[in-house]
Amino acid sequence: MTHASEVRSFVSETFFVDDFADDDSFLQTGIIDSTGMMELVAFLERRFGIKIADEELVPENLDSLANVCRFVSRKNAQAA
Amino acid sequence: MCGIAGFTLPRDATVDVKAEAEVHLRRMVTSLRHRGPDALDAVIQAGIALGHARLAILDPAGGAQPMRDDTTGVTVVFNGEIFNHDDLRRSLTANRSFRTRSDTEVILAAFLERGIECVSEFNGQFAFAIFDPRDLTLWLARDRFGKLPLFYSETSERFVFASEAKAILASGLVQPRLDRHAIAETLRLWAPATGRSFFDGIRSLPPGSVARLRDGDLSIHTYWELDLADERIDHGIPFNRAADELEALLYDAVRLRLRADVPVGAYLSGGLDSSLLCAIAQEQLGGGLQTYSVAFSHPRYDERGFQESVARTLGTDHRTTTIENAEVGTLLPAVVEHAESAILRTAPAPLLKLSHAVRVAGTKVVLTGEGADEMFLGYDLFKETKIRQFWARQPESRARGALFGRLYPYLAVSKQSPQLMRQFFGVGLDQPSAADFSHRIRWTNSGRISRFLSRSFVDALDGWDPVTAFLSELPSAITSARPLARAQLLEARTLLSQYLLSTQGDRMLMANSVEGRFPFLDHRIAEFAARLPDWMKLRGLREKLIVRRLAKGRVPPQVATRTKFPYRAPIAEALLGPCAPAWAKVELSRDAIDDVGVFDGTRVEKLIERLASTPAASDADEMALVAVASTQLLARRFLCEREISPLELEKVQVRAA
Repeated sequence: MTHASEVRSFVSETFFVDDFADDDSFLQTGIIDSTGMMELVAFLERRFGIKIADEELVPENLDSLANVCRFVSRKNAQAA
Repeated sequence: MCGIAGFTLPRDATVDVKAEAEVHLRRMVTSLRHRGPDALDAVIQAGIALGHARLAILDPAGGAQPMRDDTTGVTVVFNGEIFNHDDLRRSLTANRSFRTRSDTEVILAAFLERGIECVSEFNGQFAFAIFDPRDLTLWLARDRFGKLPLFYSETSERFVFASEAKAILASGLVQPRLDRHAIAETLRLWAPATGRSFFDGIRSLPPGSVARLRDGDLSIHTYWELDLADERIDHGIPFNRAADELEALLYDAVRLRLRADVPVGAYLSGGLDSSLLCAIAQEQLGGGLQTYSVAFSHPRYDERGFQESVARTLGTDHRTTTIENAEVGTLLPAVVEHAESAILRTAPAPLLKLSHAVRVAGTKVVLTGEGADEMFLGYDLFKETKIRQFWARQPESRARGALFGRLYPYLAVSKQSPQLMRQFFGVGLDQPSAADFSHRIRWTNSGRISRFLSRSFVDALDGWDPVTAFLSELPSAITSARPLARAQLLEARTLLSQYLLSTQGDRMLMANSVEGRFPFLDHRIAEFAARLPDWMKLRGLREKLIVRRLAKGRVPPQVATRTKFPYRAPIAEALLGPCAPAWAKVELSRDAIDDVGVFDGTRVEKLIERLASTPAASDADEMALVAVASTQLLARRFLCEREISPLELEKVQVRAA
């Protein structure tokens, strides 16, 4: 599975959403609430073996499927 | 307080029809006996059947109902209190001699002299029905805030009404079916906000309105609305004078509500409003006030320390009832039985236990602080609106959005990332004049509950959106009102009468035959609060400034200066895990949920797994769990006919007139 499909299925299953677009804002469309954001972060750290610093907890990194995938790829590239 | 019930009959009803009507009426009155265990009386006459379950508080000997005027035949059934009945009686004695000291007779006299417009003169909490045989008209009326309930249903043959929907269902005249729109409204707005009950074809008469039924035509008109227009604000009033005026009004509102032929106690939450009321009541009684508090064994919800310090300072006769997590779950079936509602919170359950304690202590009436947060901007929602309004003027400002960290320091996201928090609270920031600007975040969040609905339920709704439907029924003036006034109106329309005063108020009180009285919802106080500039209510992020001024020196300083503590009760701990009540294990199973068909059993199963395994559940997930549990209980309790024993039915005294 690619990052995108893994993250998508995590979001779908964890937050019970059937359908959303890659660019939909998680927070503004109500896909994920403020508690759920922390669950997403924990999932990304666990699944992709990355460490996310406080200053990286920003909408540009986390607030849509597309943003998350770009962020995870960048983190992985840094680690490699 | 009491329960009322009735339905129309043909004027020339045959003996058989009347006999059948008597059975319907007995069933209706019997199903309301918790509201009025002191007497169950009914009358069947040409054109109408009327029933009454009485909780005798004023003139126990003279206030029997249904009450009929012998000259005209006009008959009333009444639930509630007209607090200014003495003044009204004096103004009416010129043309009439009174037989009783009861406020019921004052309603009858005022109606005979002034017609239904008399409601505008009543200061009280009431729901009543008047049948006028002279023009064969049935009138229904409800107080300004809807403190007391009144439901009705138009069937092909009858017009039926009652204090609770269960009485209409018990009549056998209406088939019980869940109203899916009411459920959908609740999952978004927290309660049905457009007059629906949870049952198809049964509606709630809107607060502040009067209904007229004549020749089979129903017309409803509003006689009072909360007017928060900018033009009403008196910007020149000095703060000290405003505080003096509020003090005088509140003293009078308490004085009127301490009148009764039985002792009046008070609820003491430990917050600002109820503490202030207790202080004023204790002063007026010259001591001896009974105060009642609910404490939680779970410290997250508990306010015992504040309650005890107020009781000690005021020297009240104080009683505390403690509730365990597990009891909240055990009580939920009784909560749904009385509230007749799907709900998103378990907070009514502790209040059910509290009213039981009041009843056991022998008290029939309590004052409560309800309404102060709506009128004097006590809720966090108003602060949230204020921050968002301030932020919307400069959406790029980081500092403005970061204010949410001060408002909700306990939110996980606000601790860890101001940027994400701003994203969350920034919903709809580009539309500051939208009617729902203030409630956009709340309703986006509760919208998440709908994910657990079954496919068939969603299909049957056919795209119907509760928020759009609700907003379309609001007066058009609302969009031109200032944001805080808009927030207040939405709060009053979605939550005050439909949830706080009913599900969490009247129903939990009357379940144990206890009457609540609400001094802050005296309409004179509401109208006065509407005239005050917003800063006297919410200054910066400090709520209820003017109420605090009154509390200073009357209640302990730590209570007078305390920030509003939202009243909540445990959810996941009460319904799942080792404490789970037996009913929950049955009703929350996948099969039971699919059987009722409102929610999707498989999805709810996953939700339960998630809630059981996470220490920090999300608010929307917990609300979803309560929504599912209460809907299951609602369906089980009300979708089948209930047996009522013949012995119970015989307790209703039926007269023919």
